[in-house]
Amino acid sequence: MSVLRPLDKLPGLNTATILLVGTEDALLQQLADSMLKEDCASELKVHLAKSLPLPSSVNRPRIDLIVFVVNLHSKYSLQNTEESLRHVDASFFLGKVCFLATGAGRESHCSIHRHTVVKLAHTYQSPLLYCDLEVEGFRATMAQRLVRVLQICAGHVPGVSALNLLSLLKSSEGPSLEDL
Amino acid sequence: MEEQPQMQDADEPADSGGEGLAGGPPQVAGAQAARSEDRMTLLIRLRAQTKQQLLEYKSMVDASEEKTPEQIMQEKQIEAKIEDLENEIEEVKVAFEIKKLALDRMRLSTALKKNLEKISTQSSVLMDNMKHLLELNKLIMKSQQESWDLEEKLLDIRKKRLQLKQASESKLLEIQTEKNKQKIDLDSMENSERIKIIRQNLQMEIKITTVIQHVFQNLILGSKVNWAEDPALKEIVLQLEKNVDMM
Repeated sequence: MSVLRPLDKLPGLNTATILLVGTEDALLQQLADSMLKEDCASELKVHLAKSLPLPSSVNRPRIDLIVFVVNLHSKYSLQNTEESLRHVDASFFLGKVCFLATGAGRESHCSIHRHTVVKLAHTYQSPLLYCDLEVEGFRATMAQRLVRVLQICAGHVPGVSALNLLSLLKSSEGPSLEDL
Repeated sequence: MEEQPQMQDADEPADSGGEGLAGGPPQVAGAQAARSEDRMTLLIRLRAQTKQQLLEYKSMVDASEEKTPEQIMQEKQIEAKIEDLENEIEEVKVAFEIKKLALDRMRLSTALKKNLEKISTQSSVLMDNMKHLLELNKLIMKSQQESWDLEEKLLDIRKKRLQLKQASESKLLEIQTEKNKQKIDLDSMENSERIKIIRQNLQMEIKITTVIQHVFQNLILGSKVNWAEDPALKEIVLQLEKNVDMM
């Protein structure tokens, strides 16, 4: 089963699962740790993966939110993300996918232009978040944010659905005209 | 590749099944009461969760029942359609919010009406709030008026500045045209015919005088007179340099 589908399994009771996809293991691990430190009423499960497709041999719970971590310092990470995006079902992009761009703080090391990632997020109609995962403070804030988004995507917040959140998070302008 | 899932139970201590609690009866009762309340909140929360999740699944089922259009549309058309649908969603949301607001206002006004008999008009929290509201409104209106006045002043000053700029622009333009005219006059004067003729005559006269001077000089030199002693003769011989300078 190479394509991830959002609603093919039943949700676990009081459980919310997030999948972090990215090439930098250390960053993902740190982000996962910060998220688990956050205090949240439901049980959190964090899965880390370098790329999709995930091996189907493992029995895993229903994934509520996928976060693609793109490191602006390496083109390989962008390539990896684009490859992995092919293994995600289209119905996931209704609010259950999020892009996280890291490394924007050090302009000189950035080999991917910011506009590339903006265009990618715009094509997939998903929100794009910026965070320097190496800085402790920013990481903690981002972890908090992700936990809230995860709760909404898992259906633990009554009255707000993932799609609702998506339309709230939409920015009023897409990538600027000069890039299109 | 995938790493092992990591679990963390950050729940409130709401586990079912009272594990052994040390302490006297009131403590046990208190703790049990707390736990049963926690259990209640947990159950209510789980209920809300399940409701929400059920709603999501239902909406997915409804969405997948809709027939997708068979023809292949251009990407631009798809994007335009997506935008239209999103606008529809936004409108529905806004309408819903407005209706909710209206309902809340109606509820508030009926509650107020019911309570109005009980409230004494002299002193109550409600009246204080209303007075505070009125004061704030007056303050708002005053500050708005002030800001409006300031903006007017700013506008006036900007207008004046613009006028000054325009005036200075026109003055500079005038100066420039005057200068140009002067220059043209000067040029034309220089190039006029009369000056050329006058210059030519001047040159001619100068040449003639030089020739005459040379003749005098040679006469004097030729006559082998000692011209250095006589000042008049000396003057004539040495005058050549002066004329050359004048030219």
